[in-house]
Amino acid sequence: MNPIPNALCFGDGLPGVGAPCHVTVSADGLTMVPVGTSPLVEEAIAFADMSVEAGGLDHDQLVVSWGTGSSARTLYLKDPALIIAFRRAAPAELTAHLERAAVQVRRARHGHRLLWGSVLGVVFGLGLLLWFGTDLIVEWAVARIPIEWEQKLGESVYQDFLSKETVLKEGPAVSAVQEMTQRLTDKIRDNPYKFQISVVQSPVVNAFALPGGYVVVFTGLMTKAESGEEVAGVLSHELNHVLQRHGMERMVKMLGLAAVVGILLGDQQGLTGLAKQVGMELVTLKFGRAQETEADVTGIRLLSDARIAPDGMIRFFERLSEKDKARVEVFSTHPMSAGRAERLKAELAALPKRTPEPFTFQWKTIQDSLGVSDPKK
Amino acid sequence: MKCEILYPGAFPMVRVYLDASETVKAESGAMVAASPTIDIESKMEGGFLGALSRKMLSGEKFFFQTLRASRGAGEVLLAPTVPGEIVLLELDGVNEYMVQKDGFLAGAEGVKIESKMQSLTRGLLGGEGFFILKIGGTGHLVLNSFGAIHKIELKPNEEYIVDNSHLVAWTSTTTYNIEKASSGWIASLTSGEGLVCRFRGPGVVYIQSRNPGSFGNWIRQFIPVSE
Repeated sequence: MNPIPNALCFGDGLPGVGAPCHVTVSADGLTMVPVGTSPLVEEAIAFADMSVEAGGLDHDQLVVSWGTGSSARTLYLKDPALIIAFRRAAPAELTAHLERAAVQVRRARHGHRLLWGSVLGVVFGLGLLLWFGTDLIVEWAVARIPIEWEQKLGESVYQDFLSKETVLKEGPAVSAVQEMTQRLTDKIRDNPYKFQISVVQSPVVNAFALPGGYVVVFTGLMTKAESGEEVAGVLSHELNHVLQRHGMERMVKMLGLAAVVGILLGDQQGLTGLAKQVGMELVTLKFGRAQETEADVTGIRLLSDARIAPDGMIRFFERLSEKDKARVEVFSTHPMSAGRAERLKAELAALPKRTPEPFTFQWKTIQDSLGVSDPKK
Repeated sequence: MKCEILYPGAFPMVRVYLDASETVKAESGAMVAASPTIDIESKMEGGFLGALSRKMLSGEKFFFQTLRASRGAGEVLLAPTVPGEIVLLELDGVNEYMVQKDGFLAGAEGVKIESKMQSLTRGLLGGEGFFILKIGGTGHLVLNSFGAIHKIELKPNEEYIVDNSHLVAWTSTTTYNIEKASSGWIASLTSGEGLVCRFRGPGVVYIQSRNPGSFGNWIRQFIPVSE
């Protein structure tokens, strides 16, 4: 009975696919026995007469060659057990070739794995980037928006909004808000914005800031506040949303990839067009939790720098939260959680103690003026 | 199992004789006719995951059919989808063929089929995709091609250059590199050859005389565009 073939032999007069044969390893060489009907004859090859290298499609086959001219033969061994037996039996002078062959195989496999590994890594990395890095991409893109664009965008929404509302042009309330803003903005380092503040006649207990430095304070907020410091606290928080460009970040996030590409290409018109789609939503824009925290922390620092008692905002929120939670708008855009209050208090404790300087106005007078000027009250 | 090619040329068929309880694996949908003693089983070669990976990764059919002569000896007629020659190969246990994903038509029970991942450059540029079929084991193997099938025998270290979309199958003792057809990129693209495979022997490479992709492009111009 024919033995099972474990190698292929190539050479003149042999089939192109190779002649199947059975190879055994002995102490001084190989013995090759043809399998099936083949022009191949049984042959014993001494280690001294052969050369060895790695070959085949994946460099995982052992290629043994011997002879010259028409009697040249090449043997392809694939069976791992046979290759190991060969390497054990082969003499030292052949081993050098073999080791080189083995290193080649390992290198080929290693390279293969490395390549696929890095491809998977890149795909995985991109996935991670999209999953966690959206904020980073958005921040990066926003940092490339010129302040002028931001101002143009903010201004159009601001004017739109004001045209539908009753704006207080003068009076004690307006001068009080102006005084607060002045004291706060004086302490902002490298301020690129020219802040514009309007007081709007409305029972809404809230204030908001638009990109570009346009801030609106509702009289409802001022009538609910027990001191100027409380309003200044909210104002400082809003100013810091502008300074950190939170509005732009939210907008770019809402508009998505199209906005980022627009920014990269410097396409101001396209971006403004996109922003128009968002339009008035900017007024009721909800900031993210991280953005609120950032505005809280920088807001409280700014208050402290401006020597305005920095606990006003916390007191205002805590007082309101107990009774008016459901109908006070400020909570819908600034949800106050226990954790947030705690963080604010911790931040407050960490700040250097500064003696607060009072405002020049009497809060009572301001509130009286609002009560008089608001016929609904 | 015995195989015979009927009507050799562009529209051939394979007649497979099966002894009682013998089986043959075939590309799904390849059966044309069979004796009443033959049962058709749909079998996922390599288990469900193996079949799934073959489907997902190489675009090869999810299932192979297994035709079993369960009620006595009989014959099966098999034919490929595309017009083109069929080649019969005999696997002896040491020979292994790499087959591009549409090339497999049928194989004896002892024939083993697995999906093999190619290296990145070969997968990206070779034109056969990242996954090809690695077929080994023992018994008859039937491959089909688009157009005529041509066998190239390579002696040790002999080289031959093949346009990658004409490849059908090659033995695992050969190696190949992907190259530009001409020395410059522009010339490579304008010559219409693009990338080619430089094969190095020993071993055998089967190529097809027609390029399925080019044929598709050519025939597209005659297909009326629906409104």
